[in-house]
Amino acid sequence: MNWFGFWLCLATLFIIGLGFVWVIRGERYFGYLWWPYVMGTGVLSILGSLFISNNWASALFGAFGASLIWGSTELKEQAVRGEIGWYPFRAKKILPPFVNVIKKWKAPSL
Amino acid sequence: MSVNINPVGLAAALATFFGVWLGHVSVRKIERETVNLWKPTLIALALSAGFGAASFLTSSLSLSAICGILSVTLFWDSFEFQRQQKRIKHGHAPANPNNLRHAKILAEYSEATSFDWLNRDPRGTPYSPAELESMKEGAK
Repeated sequence: MNWFGFWLCLATLFIIGLGFVWVIRGERYFGYLWWPYVMGTGVLSILGSLFISNNWASALFGAFGASLIWGSTELKEQAVRGEIGWYPFRAKKILPPFVNVIKKWKAPSL
Repeated sequence: MSVNINPVGLAAALATFFGVWLGHVSVRKIERETVNLWKPTLIALALSAGFGAASFLTSSLSLSAICGILSVTLFWDSFEFQRQQKRIKHGHAPANPNNLRHAKILAEYSEATSFDWLNRDPRGTPYSPAELESMKEGAK
């Protein structure tokens, strides 16, 4: 009987659940234009997991990285939800470095 | 010096990303087209149980991780069908007038609409009630 998948699925459920919270809060205070940084951190987390010999740590870094990449694609829709009044809207956002470059890129939404 | 690559994290990452992505897209699509929601709900629960059982039975850590994560995302999806229907009732997701269940919701719930509020780019400022009303009217 292999319990690794069972315990990992509970941890992943927590990581995905946490994703809802940070996407909503993160977009409110920082705005959706942080998406390339969030996506990049997710990719680095997954790449880093390849070099971690501990199986638990590797799996958690992988699941967390995937959740970051997914969340980065949710930020744009969350921004619209705030603008149309489904979530509290905060006009003063902490914008990311190179914001004018990022504005020219199409934000992902799956 | 040799570097050992550990595939477990990548397996967990792929299962998490595709489990969440495919679940997200499938729930929206299936809820939109299906009249009786209990059918996809039961299928998702059965698949979840199957992947859950497989995660215990395999000796491979990567396969156990993939099956475990798919099991939990499918379990989540089984509840998402009802949550998606609630979004339809509140107008937070577009209703499909060609689906009998959605047509009934459109008739019974004043906020329900076939208009997709989220199909736009953020503009940086909130919409006024008058703007929201004209957007909804313009889509009719």
